[in-house]
Amino acid sequence: MELLQQIGTGFAVALQPTNLFYCFVGVFIGTLIGVLPGIGPVGAMSLLFPVTFKATPEAAIIMLAGIYYGAMYGGSTTSILVNIPGEAASVVTCLDGYQMARKGRAGPALGMSAFGSFLGGTASIVGLMLLAPPLSQFAIKFGPAEYFSLMVLGLSILIYLAHGSMAKALITAAFGIVLGLIGLDSINARPRLTFDRLELVDGVGLVPIVMGLFGVAEVLLNVEQALKREVFQTRIRGLLPSARDWVESRWPIVRGSVLGFFLGILPGGGAVISSFLSYALEKRLSKHPERFGHGAIEGVAGPETANNAATGGAFIPLMTLGVPPNVIMALLLGAFMVHGVQPGPLMMKQNPGLFWGVIASMYIGNLMLLVLNLPLIGMWVQVLRVPYRILFPLILLFCLVGVYTVGNTVFDIYVMILFGLVGYLMKKLEYEPAPLVLAFVLGPLLENNLRKAMILSQGSFAIFLTRPISAVCLLVALFLLVSPLVPRLGRKREELAVEEVS
Amino acid sequence: MDISRRDVLKLGVGGLAAGAIRPRPAAAAEFPAKPVTLICPWPPGGSTDVSMRALAEATSKHLGQPVVIENKPGGSGTVGPATMAAAAKPDGYTLSQIPITVFRLPFMIKATWDPMKDFTYIIHTTGYTFGVVVKADAPWKTWKEFLAYAKANPGKVRYATPGAGTTLHITMEQIAHQEGIKWTQVPMKGGAETTPAVLGGHVEATADSTGWGPQVDAGNLRLLVTWGAARTKRWPNVPTLKESGQGIVSNSPFGFAGPKGMDPKVVKVLHDAFRKGIEEPVYLQTLQRLDMEPFYKNTADYTAYAKELAAEAKAQVELLGLAKKS
Repeated sequence: MELLQQIGTGFAVALQPTNLFYCFVGVFIGTLIGVLPGIGPVGAMSLLFPVTFKATPEAAIIMLAGIYYGAMYGGSTTSILVNIPGEAASVVTCLDGYQMARKGRAGPALGMSAFGSFLGGTASIVGLMLLAPPLSQFAIKFGPAEYFSLMVLGLSILIYLAHGSMAKALITAAFGIVLGLIGLDSINARPRLTFDRLELVDGVGLVPIVMGLFGVAEVLLNVEQALKREVFQTRIRGLLPSARDWVESRWPIVRGSVLGFFLGILPGGGAVISSFLSYALEKRLSKHPERFGHGAIEGVAGPETANNAATGGAFIPLMTLGVPPNVIMALLLGAFMVHGVQPGPLMMKQNPGLFWGVIASMYIGNLMLLVLNLPLIGMWVQVLRVPYRILFPLILLFCLVGVYTVGNTVFDIYVMILFGLVGYLMKKLEYEPAPLVLAFVLGPLLENNLRKAMILSQGSFAIFLTRPISAVCLLVALFLLVSPLVPRLGRKREELAVEEVS
Repeated sequence: MDISRRDVLKLGVGGLAAGAIRPRPAAAAEFPAKPVTLICPWPPGGSTDVSMRALAEATSKHLGQPVVIENKPGGSGTVGPATMAAAAKPDGYTLSQIPITVFRLPFMIKATWDPMKDFTYIIHTTGYTFGVVVKADAPWKTWKEFLAYAKANPGKVRYATPGAGTTLHITMEQIAHQEGIKWTQVPMKGGAETTPAVLGGHVEATADSTGWGPQVDAGNLRLLVTWGAARTKRWPNVPTLKESGQGIVSNSPFGFAGPKGMDPKVVKVLHDAFRKGIEEPVYLQTLQRLDMEPFYKNTADYTAYAKELAAEAKAQVELLGLAKKS
């Protein structure tokens, strides 16, 4: 058993006291920045990056990786407690997590997201150990045509399952796509919708939009309601998930692990997309879809598992192809290079200690995170008792600081405030913000891959149908979009997407 | 003798007051009196960022003050320098990396800066290593064979670049123009997509900086040509564009500048410190790991070179039909 021997080597590296220490520091910092909205893993990792110059390569990578998956753990906390996603990947957790908190079930929501994160994270590490080489070969088969069709399918699923009116969901998604167009066109570098403003040349950031739509808008909405003094008066019931919660979350966790792991391998927003799709999938499969949006624990367990599972998947292209699938992995690539290690097909042979050591440390790190996070739940729940006149200014402050630290520009703060107002109006007029965010993330990828595919095929649309993976995705998407027109199927969708009562 | 708490306080207050009263013209004799901020207009962790962090550390020693990297990515690396040109004082405490796009973008869009007027050029430091790779089982063993195939089959060859308007794109089109080739650029989103594109057979070739390195070493990709002035240390058997008859050296070189109107004495202090910094082994090792090469020019040469770069950028942009409509 060569694999067992390699895993053994890995644990021997990861269990060295120095490496254990760095692992703990990493996951601890990760949890903290995950909890603070806006200050994402990218910011923290780049700040701590120079500190690792002097450490051994193993210690440096173990710590930086710990920050990454630690942030995914912490990201759900503010989503659940105050409806502000700590990370873009925790946006969907707001939908049901926050509703659970309002019903006094913040504890089980936090607990289930910690367990889900642990299980998803662990499953994806096992996947990483067993499947890394074959999967990297599969990933390079995904060309522009396949990506395009996958994105179309993702958007279709989301719109199909949006609350209430499909027309409203389509409008919001279209708005998100237009927002995504701002900036230099990714194919021939021509500025679009930039109005000759330098700040817009690179497009609008995801973080200011998400913080505005969710964070600032939530504060504005609650300022209205706080006068009535009725929110969160409910008793906090239980700190840990009950047996029933476990039964309900069991399959969402399994499906979230698989979904997150595979989507994490693909470039782009693996963690973000997988959390959205997991939510949509759970709602589609649930016997009681009407509970979604009103505090269904499956809506927390699935996406939180998926976004953590995606972290393991994201390591595959980096460690086996030398290709970073997202910004965070690009940062890690930089860290490897500074320490004189080239991630890529030869890494497993040339630096087995580092390769397996990092993987083993992720397993240990996940355990540490579970131990670290469970006792904290009791403390987090107390946050809900903080009076609004103190909590709201604090939330706004965190949003402001968080948004500023991402890009170091004041412009992002204006964007966030603007989207706070937009989000407020959308809530009032009963438009869902989630399709906007996903369309904003997927739109540019969709366009970019469509145009690349057209360049590759010399202008022939047949490329989308002659490639099997692409054709299947498109057919499923077509079915979902047409189904509301067929009366019997249309009724089924209405059962799934019951009008949101606010 | 006991020093009372009061004495210490007095000392402290006195010191503070002296600091506050002292007039602070940008006197070169005192420069630098506080940390120098060096703007990196690229995201943290990329090769430019990593090399700049190594240089900052190496230079701090000679400057006597820390050099602090601030990431201000955006606008293909122009937001950082443009913000500096518009907002920073020319006191030598705010500098920026000047990527080649600073010279190119003003010809493509309405820009807020003029590369000839808005900067004080200090020192030119570095260039990248670029090259063209194909799959290891591709029929072309050499760059010459590849060019011959592309010429004989117009429109058949598709090559990936990390983006339209990048130096990679522009140089490939320059080559096509010279050799009478018609090939198709497929602009990818940065280096992360270009290597899988050629590995997965989605394009025939990839032109990019050395992100393909590990795959070349593993024997999955074949490196046909590099674009530097001389052959690389890492792949000494691979010819350069220059020796293959194209006569092009393309390495997207960069240096550092401050806002316009800096005191020449301050410029000299900075130049001398960076000059020593780029000779530090720590920095040279980092460059080598990142496949970047030292490319030093002093203040006067860099200022003259900036003019050349701008003229070159204008010609390239016009050649490719990317020029802004005015």
